[in-house]
Amino acid sequence: MALLKVSVISPEATLFEGEAASVTAPAFDGEVGILPMHAPMVTTLGAGMLRIGGGAERFNVQGGFLQVVDNVVRVVTEQASRA
Amino acid sequence: MAKGRELKGRIKSVENTRKITRTMEMVATSKMKRAQDRVVAARPYARALADVIASLYNPDLAERFPLLRQPAKEGRAAVILLTSNRGLAGAFNANLIKEARALIARLEAAGSEVELHVVGKKGNGYFKYVGRAVAVSRIDITDRPTAADAASLVDSLMARFIAGGVDAVYVVGSRFNSALSTPPTADRVLPVQPPTAKGGQKDYLLYPSAEAILTELLPSYVRNAVYRALVETVAAEQSARRTAMKNATDNAGEMLNLLRRTYNRARQAQITQEIAEIVGGASALQG
Repeated sequence: MALLKVSVISPEATLFEGEAASVTAPAFDGEVGILPMHAPMVTTLGAGMLRIGGGAERFNVQGGFLQVVDNVVRVVTEQASRA
Repeated sequence: MAKGRELKGRIKSVENTRKITRTMEMVATSKMKRAQDRVVAARPYARALADVIASLYNPDLAERFPLLRQPAKEGRAAVILLTSNRGLAGAFNANLIKEARALIARLEAAGSEVELHVVGKKGNGYFKYVGRAVAVSRIDITDRPTAADAASLVDSLMARFIAGGVDAVYVVGSRFNSALSTPPTADRVLPVQPPTAKGGQKDYLLYPSAEAILTELLPSYVRNAVYRALVETVAAEQSARRTAMKNATDNAGEMLNLLRRTYNRARQAQITQEIAEIVGGASALQG
């Protein structure tokens, strides 16, 4: 199965860039899970833990948004830090 | 040999100056590289933001967003001028101030009232010297600007723009095209000029809604525009300083060559004269 290309981007730097089988993100109204072949989507994020590849990479994020298109996931947020 | 000693002193002094300028050149080079890295690192974020805004934006939505309102007349405009805290960077600050003055003159000619926000000791020093009132003066932004710095600069202006207190916000800074090309530029960050979509709009699922997403993203977009200007201006400052210090070092080298040549000629002339005196004295003794 195809993998997702995931990147976590803050204004100052790209914090993470790599491939993963899944992404779980804190959307504005609760957690959202993304698997490969997800439909194109844009959602705003709330505060919480972003997990990439089932928890291999974890970030605390607050605000910002998540964009999925063609198996590319971009998490764009002003406040993100590795957890 | 009075002249010789004087020359020697000057040679020593130029040598010392060259040592300083050469060190500053190397420091600026390494600082510029790091600043350049930050400029590059800031790009993906700007691209992602512009991408999403472009794919969500349509003119029908524009009227509902205060940040997108296009005032018919810029009654009150704010100009944020970015300058450096330190000098010895050639014409860097002078160019930025010149750009800002041209912009202010243009706005005032169009009938706007201009309020100045000046970042950096050099810009503040200049406007104090010419006696022009500065609304906000900041000298606490270092050569490693953060997104928080950008937010603190523009957030209050954004709020006032939404409330109708200001009708336009400009940022004057240096664009960092490359290490050799850093032209001063004036960009309008408010009202927001929405980026245009490249390659058509995708059919996204939008949560909660296009409107809610734009409400959150537009302020980020404005803050990011200011952040980018801050980062690029710092990189441009270091690049300007490097060039200025390289020129100073080269000039010192040339000056040293000239001084050394003059010194050696004087020394030689003195020896020749001494020999001539001895020969003259000897032949006088021989009768």
